[in-house]
Amino acid sequence: MNVNVADAEISPIELEIIYNALTAAAAEMDVTIWRTSRSTIVRELLDYSTAIFDRDGWNVAQAARIPSHLNSMSYFLTEILARHIPPDRWGPDDVVISNDPYCGGQHLPDIVAYKAVFRNGRRIGFVGALCHHLDVGGSSPGSYGSSATEIFQEGLRIPPVKIVERGKLNEPIRDIILQNVRQPDILWGDLQSQLASLHIGAASIERLAMKLGEARFEAATHQLLDRSEAAMRAVIGRIPDGTYEFEDHVDDDGILDTPIRIHARLTVEGDELTVDLSGCSPQVMGPSNATLSSTCSTVFYALIASADVPIAANAGCYRPVRIVAPPGLCVSAAVPAPVVHRIAIGHRLATVLFGALHQAVPERMPAAYYAVSYVVTLQTIDPELGRRVLVEIEVGGIGALPVSDGASALSFGMHNNANIPMEMIESDMPVTFMGYGLLSDTGGPGQWRGGLGLWREWRIDCPMAQLSTNLDRFKFRPFGLSGGEPAAPSALYLIRDGEKQALRSKVTNMMLRNGDIIRLETSGGGGFGEARLRERELVERDVRLGYVSAAAARDSYGRSS
Amino acid sequence: MALIEVAPVRIGVDIGGTFTDLQIYDARTGAIVGYKTPTTPQDPSIGLMTGIKEAAARYNFTLPDVGFLLHGTTIATNAILERKLPKAVLVTTAGFEDVLEIGRHVRREVYALSPQQPPTLIPRDCRIGVAERIRADGSVEVPLTPAALENLAAAIDRIDPVSVAVCLMNSYLNPQHEQDIAGYLAKTRPALKVSCASALSAEIREYERTSTTVLNAVLIPVIAGYLDKLTHRMETEGFRPRLLLVQSNGGVCAARTAALEPVRLLLSGPSGGSAACALLSKILGEDNLIGVDMGGTSFDVSVVRNGRVNVVMQGEVDRMPVRIPMVEIRAIGAGGGSLAKVQRGKRLTVGPESAGSYPGPACYGRGGVGATVTDANVTLGRIDGEKFLGGGMRLDSQAARGVIDAEVAKPLSLATEPAAEGLLAVVNANLGAAIRLSLFEKGVDPREFTMIAFGGAAGLHAVAVADETGIGRVVFPENASTLSAYGILHSDLIHDLVRSRVLDATPEKLGAITPLLECLVADARTRLDADAIPENDRHIELSADMHYKGQAFELTVPLRSLQLDEAALPVLIGDFHDLHRQYFSYSNPGSAVEIVSLRASAIGRLPKPAAKGAAARDSGQPIGKRKIWLSGGWRDVVVWNRDDVFPGVTIEGPAVIEEAYTSVLLVEGWSCRRDKSGHLVARRH
Repeated sequence: MNVNVADAEISPIELEIIYNALTAAAAEMDVTIWRTSRSTIVRELLDYSTAIFDRDGWNVAQAARIPSHLNSMSYFLTEILARHIPPDRWGPDDVVISNDPYCGGQHLPDIVAYKAVFRNGRRIGFVGALCHHLDVGGSSPGSYGSSATEIFQEGLRIPPVKIVERGKLNEPIRDIILQNVRQPDILWGDLQSQLASLHIGAASIERLAMKLGEARFEAATHQLLDRSEAAMRAVIGRIPDGTYEFEDHVDDDGILDTPIRIHARLTVEGDELTVDLSGCSPQVMGPSNATLSSTCSTVFYALIASADVPIAANAGCYRPVRIVAPPGLCVSAAVPAPVVHRIAIGHRLATVLFGALHQAVPERMPAAYYAVSYVVTLQTIDPELGRRVLVEIEVGGIGALPVSDGASALSFGMHNNANIPMEMIESDMPVTFMGYGLLSDTGGPGQWRGGLGLWREWRIDCPMAQLSTNLDRFKFRPFGLSGGEPAAPSALYLIRDGEKQALRSKVTNMMLRNGDIIRLETSGGGGFGEARLRERELVERDVRLGYVSAAAARDSYGRSS
Repeated sequence: MALIEVAPVRIGVDIGGTFTDLQIYDARTGAIVGYKTPTTPQDPSIGLMTGIKEAAARYNFTLPDVGFLLHGTTIATNAILERKLPKAVLVTTAGFEDVLEIGRHVRREVYALSPQQPPTLIPRDCRIGVAERIRADGSVEVPLTPAALENLAAAIDRIDPVSVAVCLMNSYLNPQHEQDIAGYLAKTRPALKVSCASALSAEIREYERTSTTVLNAVLIPVIAGYLDKLTHRMETEGFRPRLLLVQSNGGVCAARTAALEPVRLLLSGPSGGSAACALLSKILGEDNLIGVDMGGTSFDVSVVRNGRVNVVMQGEVDRMPVRIPMVEIRAIGAGGGSLAKVQRGKRLTVGPESAGSYPGPACYGRGGVGATVTDANVTLGRIDGEKFLGGGMRLDSQAARGVIDAEVAKPLSLATEPAAEGLLAVVNANLGAAIRLSLFEKGVDPREFTMIAFGGAAGLHAVAVADETGIGRVVFPENASTLSAYGILHSDLIHDLVRSRVLDATPEKLGAITPLLECLVADARTRLDADAIPENDRHIELSADMHYKGQAFELTVPLRSLQLDEAALPVLIGDFHDLHRQYFSYSNPGSAVEIVSLRASAIGRLPKPAAKGAAARDSGQPIGKRKIWLSGGWRDVVVWNRDDVFPGVTIEGPAVIEEAYTSVLLVEGWSCRRDKSGHLVARRH
């Protein structure tokens, strides 16, 4: 090391100012993507994240976006540096991209781009931007099929490669990518907005490093990691020592009907915590598998969210945590397992960790949330408009807390997606919405009620369309805590010629025709505490507002109104 | 009655939480004078009328001399924040009643276990779905039947609201059903106030349009009620000026418009300050200004580019989107009263929590126990505790030192002064980041900007924040504490009109675009007719919200004339590519461009006061020296009274320039002069 970072003295005040500046840099990158991206999934769903890393690839600061991305980007970058493109091969005007789950990524639609930042010829850090792309090829439109049994069916796998080298676009790589995807213009537009955001982020970091000098800049990044580590250790230290276990299940993998067990054993010893996932099911045939990168990100999200004080989230938080997951489980999938719906495993693991922590710190943990990204993918082929691909990610209700009801229809846990304005969709493709609303009686009853799930109906207005879904919670309902009851399950229906038929949770490339209506119903959140303890006024209000039907109020709360 | 100013006096009024500020222009003398009177929160029109009568007595004008009363108010904003709202009903397309409650379902606190949702102002049992449907091409799929109208009216009767919001799917394309509902209710339930989305915000995106319409509906009784009271009070005093209200877009509108479309006033609080910045841009001959307004609890940044205040098409109040054009303000919770805290792990954070005005900072001696920005400034001698608020309040500097010591110094193991200096460094860095982000979003460089600093707390921070951001020039305007009213005094009448239609920007679509533009221009003329604006004072501007096909965010591109033909279209598209490159560092000249909305601003120019420059003295001296902590040590610093700074003298930093309600701190490396209009202009060497 040619810079002695240990010599640089940084006061706590200066450190806070630097942290704010790094967070502002991530925010500037975030704004760039939001304002310039092309696809509905990035621009309206907001499925992207930006972050700043130290010179070794550890995440120092994040923009407030998607937890499942944010805490996996370090994992990906350090893997790339260790196994694919070593640090000395990164130049100041290079950009490396990859989407490969087996190189440290999560699933193929997420293309991550990283750029190293230099000062006086020395690498001082990295900036990174992740976008969920609309389609990266493979057997299903939207690359979100539920029937793949190998990753090769899920789309184009891009190993870590330099898409930009010495400031010059690597055109053959770009062409290979664009030749393999369904809407190349949109992918390229989104990828360009990622590149623009890296440029903005790098300029911000360079400016900060110029002000501080590179030695002090690097010392600051080290201390920021140390500071978050200390904060995390203090949080763990306040959790009573002991071992806490919990489990829940994902319905199935879309291929076989077997439930997938998600089990965690948390051991708290002083200021360190071990998360043992050895009790999880082996990896499955269908795409409900998570790589270790996804799983680490889930564990870190759940622990940071559960902290009793706000923590500056970064890779320092990861240090006091040990994750045990032998290769080949659904939480540590090995090549060539399909992984596109890795978020199903992640969501469920997050609720399992909350459930385990409830035993340790019952005063602050919520009952289960809907805990699945309700992914509905439609491709329409219209004689005039041509091909349109739509990926929608819907949400459900949040679990009740020990002191309040859960929120209805709000993004929670591992993802943080906005919905897409229905008018935007209707203006772009031959789909008409029949409605979008909260679903009565879906929140788990309890002293505190779980939030409500929602319904959304799409009608196909063209001769040919295909539906693929990756849903869950049709069988295993979101659990309640402390005597609270579980929430309603989810469901999917096809309404054709006036007849309503239930569909399975994972549908692949189902052909639809003019006039078909697809109806999605999502789960609510689990209840907290015994329903008989719920205040009468709250039950009456719920009935008045239609959150709970009069019949359900009688059944669940033992009173009518 | 034509809108020609015959009466000689014009009054701009800004009703704030504590004071009602008046700025009075008298064409007979050419003088602009200010007057302050306490606000009367229970009925602000009382304080307003009192202030005007007192000012009339003091400045020798009579009430009939007043031709225009330009009125800025935060009544709408406060009613929303305090939820003092009437009962209202929301009418939607059947099946979409919950769009308002679901919102965009994204959370802001990523790691929170109990994240906050935007408030839902109309609860579920007051939302009514009606059988009808407009398709995405504007055609009707389900007609609105007379039976549906009758059922709707019956359902509304059961709820018995005072106000109704109507927002139907795709009504931005075809307003017919909304108009049918409004027409039916006007005929059968004439007491109901009905707000239609298509009339207020004819723009795509159902949630944002619904939210805007709902805010309008709940505000109508509030604003109409206030205006009734005000006009009644004015009538009884024989006071009959043209009453104009300040809108969020920085212009004013007739009281009649405000009563029907009060949502346009919702974020007008900072409008006056930004309007003043635009005016200063002309006076100073500076095209690019960044306005920073720092008071007790917040720091508001606005941007003037090429002489015009930056306007955005959407803002929000209490997390609810408001889709109408408004002056762009970036507000962060940092002001004199912002509280410093040392979090676990020795993290020093400042704000957004504030000590408020009561008990306020510890140095106010009213029992405040938190360490605030003002306490740090007092501890370091930057505020003279004997002269606060023009000597109207004595500050307790021992109390300030005490809280800085206990709340910041001890937990960080620092001495008192370095702790206070550190607190200010954190604040200044946050202020700098807010400015950088505001300019960054537009792809422009802070070094090309001059900062205008106003509000009670800005003077002590402005130069440090300028250093932080690379800005080399800071202007401290005359009358900084009533600058907002000064801006209001100079406002124009503005109507914003919009038609949303997603169309390819190609010659083939001109057939669809042209009638929309003609419609907008005709509507603009009608509105200016209704306001009785003389032909010579009218100005209509057209613009198009455009994006690359697929993008979520539109850029607003001005049209160069009132017509868009085959020759003008490529120019418009070229302007879009240029603007895109400037904002986002790239453009795609080969890519398909779409027009999402077309806009018209109908501007009625009000005659501008021709103010005379302030008389300048030709000599002056500093009033003394004071010990101030700067860059790690106590120093003897020269202190000036602002009134003694005359043109021709150059003050070198470090120095303090005091005035009644604020002080300016000039650090080393900066010098300051007074220009001929009385503004202080500081420059970095």
